[in-house]
Amino acid sequence: MTLSVKDTAAAVKDTADHIYATGLRNQWHPVVPSSFVAPGAMRKVTALGEQWLLFRRSDGTLSMLADRCPHRGAPLSLGKHLGDRVACWYHGVEVETDGTVSSVPGLPGCNLEGKKLVTSLPVREIGGAVLAYFGDERHPEPAELTLPEPLTDPEVDAILCYAEWNGPWRFAVENLLDPMHGAFLHHESHTMYDGDTTAKFRIRETDRGYFFEKTDQRGVNFDWVELCRTGVDWVDLTIPYPPSAGPGGPFGIVGMVCPVDENRTGVFFWRYRRVQGWQRDTWRFLYKTLIEERHWQVLEQDRVMLEAMPADADQRENLYQHDLGVVRLRRMYRAEAEAQARAAQPAVSAPGPVPASAS
Amino acid sequence: MTTTWPYLDVHQSRTHEPTPYESKLAATLEEVFTKDGHELTDVVRGLNARQVHAPDGAQWTEESFRAEMNRLGA
Repeated sequence: MTLSVKDTAAAVKDTADHIYATGLRNQWHPVVPSSFVAPGAMRKVTALGEQWLLFRRSDGTLSMLADRCPHRGAPLSLGKHLGDRVACWYHGVEVETDGTVSSVPGLPGCNLEGKKLVTSLPVREIGGAVLAYFGDERHPEPAELTLPEPLTDPEVDAILCYAEWNGPWRFAVENLLDPMHGAFLHHESHTMYDGDTTAKFRIRETDRGYFFEKTDQRGVNFDWVELCRTGVDWVDLTIPYPPSAGPGGPFGIVGMVCPVDENRTGVFFWRYRRVQGWQRDTWRFLYKTLIEERHWQVLEQDRVMLEAMPADADQRENLYQHDLGVVRLRRMYRAEAEAQARAAQPAVSAPGPVPASAS
Repeated sequence: MTTTWPYLDVHQSRTHEPTPYESKLAATLEEVFTKDGHELTDVVRGLNARQVHAPDGAQWTEESFRAEMNRLGA
């Protein structure tokens, strides 16, 4: 039996579909807030459709392992934290934080010992969130990562908001590349009540992505967004605050998305403001006391809308000029998913030996 | 830390529920910022004019306001 051209194409498409549905590989993605894994603790997480274990030593060092014992496949997350390694609950196999099997208690000297059999992902922590590099087999070394300036600029203060939504990750990113929804979905909000409800948009290229922005209004509503691809995908945008928020001007958002699996998404929004001294302290006080809840109500409007979108929403549409930013995003992600799928399947163009049982 | 999906927590930056004093101070600050201005002198004058005083009952000064915001907002 040999694969027909049609079967081959379907196999590639399926793989590209899977990548498109569960997140692009060979780049960094946010996983969960850092606070989700206390010192000396472990936490099971799902990301890019796979099961992982976050493991933090008591000194704070974090590692991320595939949640799968190399012996029989039991979840390591059910195991025991041994300080610098994890012991699988099923048969006690011990795995170090780099994925090396350090001990097989039931059979000392077993040839699993000393072998690196568990995938271990590079991790970084920034702005209170865990970022991990998800390379495929051909790209295990982490891609260069340039962090968003608002999260590294000492003149800027940022506060993370994290939430989990039931919907495809792409819908959450598309929502951010669609500034016009601010004037409608968030019309009753504390920040996006103002401005024109009609607009013309343009795409402006940058060396790290593109701006999608109104040509005829700025600084009034959610009027522009920049998609940035710097090893991790993120968006930058600003939204005016009303005078009640005090000095410091508009607040910005650095947004990132974790593709949890095909139908679940973790969203990371750092609200940031260029404030220092008493202005910073006052903003943070007002944020904690009053503003955070108002921001949350706005985010809930997004969640309610996106979770209510049908799964095939992006298959049956009639788009117009305001959707150029979304169209561009989809083409880019789709093309990359297909390229990654092609690269992962060298056997497709040069079939190997066919097993006897398959002929 | 909850491990149940979905994590939907309105308040992620708080360490405690605001006290009545904190709630009153925050609401008054918003009013002052809206009606009086954004300078530190506006804020101190505005709070004192509304008789929303520092925790010890004293009138606000620029120094005491800075210190209190640093305590509450850091």
